[in-house]
Amino acid sequence: MLALREIMDRPEGWGRAQGREVYQRLLRSVEESPGTRVFKISMKDVKRVDISFASETVVEIARRYRGSKGFCLIDLTDPDLIENWDAAAARKGQPLLVWEGRTGRLIGAEPTQGCREAFQFALRHPTVRAAEFAESKSDMTIANASMKFKQLWEQGFLLRRESAANSGGVEFVYQRVG
Amino acid sequence: MHCEVRFPAQWINASRFDLALRASCGPHDPGTFEVTFDVPSGCKIMVEAAIRFLSLANQLAATTRRVRMKFEEGDTGTMGYLNRMGFFDHLAAEVEVLPSRPGYSAAEAHRGGNAALVEIARISKDERDEELPTRLTAALMRSCHTRPDAAELEGAAWTIFAELIDNVFSHSSTVLDGYAALQVYPKGDRLSVAVSDSGLGIMQTLRPTIGKEFPRLTDLSDTQLLVEIFRQGLSRHGPDRGCGLKGSAAKAIKFQAVLDVRLPRQRVVLIPARGAYKVNTADCYDGLPLMWGTHIGFGFRLGG
Repeated sequence: MLALREIMDRPEGWGRAQGREVYQRLLRSVEESPGTRVFKISMKDVKRVDISFASETVVEIARRYRGSKGFCLIDLTDPDLIENWDAAAARKGQPLLVWEGRTGRLIGAEPTQGCREAFQFALRHPTVRAAEFAESKSDMTIANASMKFKQLWEQGFLLRRESAANSGGVEFVYQRVG
Repeated sequence: MHCEVRFPAQWINASRFDLALRASCGPHDPGTFEVTFDVPSGCKIMVEAAIRFLSLANQLAATTRRVRMKFEEGDTGTMGYLNRMGFFDHLAAEVEVLPSRPGYSAAEAHRGGNAALVEIARISKDERDEELPTRLTAALMRSCHTRPDAAELEGAAWTIFAELIDNVFSHSSTVLDGYAALQVYPKGDRLSVAVSDSGLGIMQTLRPTIGKEFPRLTDLSDTQLLVEIFRQGLSRHGPDRGCGLKGSAAKAIKFQAVLDVRLPRQRVVLIPARGAYKVNTADCYDGLPLMWGTHIGFGFRLGG
């Protein structure tokens, strides 16, 4: 867990210049935890962020590490702040999950129509395999499910890692961010 | 040549400000060496017009033209009202004020004590005041904290100030100061949030890059392009920047705010229509007398 307020100079995050400074600090924190794949960024005590600051900080780092590391937001309830994070993430086509307890709310980018169900499925479990999703639907092949999850991974909605398949080959285990 | 700009004895909003400018010979005209602004009795300048007036006067002073402001009522009336806003705190020293400059800054004396609030803040390029959007919003909330939508208003105002003022630092390319202004009208039913700078203007900054970054938009007129800036967000830096003005508009439209944009030779007014901004063609002008910079004003209706 990373508390954003701790790497901000004041409770309000304003503008690109401040955003870039905080981005460097975020980057350092991420590089200091090479083994960590999911970073929960806490908004506790962050009073305000504007869209530019949001864009230069968490949205940018999520985009930079898309596919290999995931970033989500926690302790974020102010609707005005959520709107600003959403606008910043949408601008860069970057999905971001905002977690309130065990409920994840997606802001920024949205999955394409065809992948929405697969994403919702993945959101309900810490990890999923394509086969599990295919099984849960009456008319879905594993290949089809694989393709959807792969697309979600490429676009930053999910993370994945390789794992040994029961069949003896390799398969991917997909993971929600947070 | 001597240019005289005469304001009418009325409330001066952005529209009437430009009307007065249009009736004059053009303060920035190459042949103009002297400019006098006539402010008669009964003339009251609203804050979004006041910061344009301030910006213009300071621009003219920077070009070493002789600039004069004549206040018919002396230091009561309009002058006192402008003084309360902090107008004279920011006016270039070279500008001659008649009969004479106020002896003290009423803005300093009265700061924070007024429910019907009005305030002008300097955006200094040399020294970025990191607390500026927060301070302006706090001043606003002292007037508005009892409203049921106070939290939403606070968030909207802060974001608008933050985005507009950051733009002045990022894009305006000028050494002249910018100004941010805020006015809550006495009945508490209207709010004005405005930011002015004396830089190149959005179009000058953005146009050269349109062909490369947004080729589909090259054929749009300046007015149409301005609408797109607020609607989709555009930036000279490319497709993944430029959400500041769009984000500001998204906050403002929740309060049915009218958006007034003055560019070097152009004025565009956008009004809320079904959740998005559209151009109010009746209030748009091209070929206006030159005024450097980008001047953006949001007029909120606060209702109840």
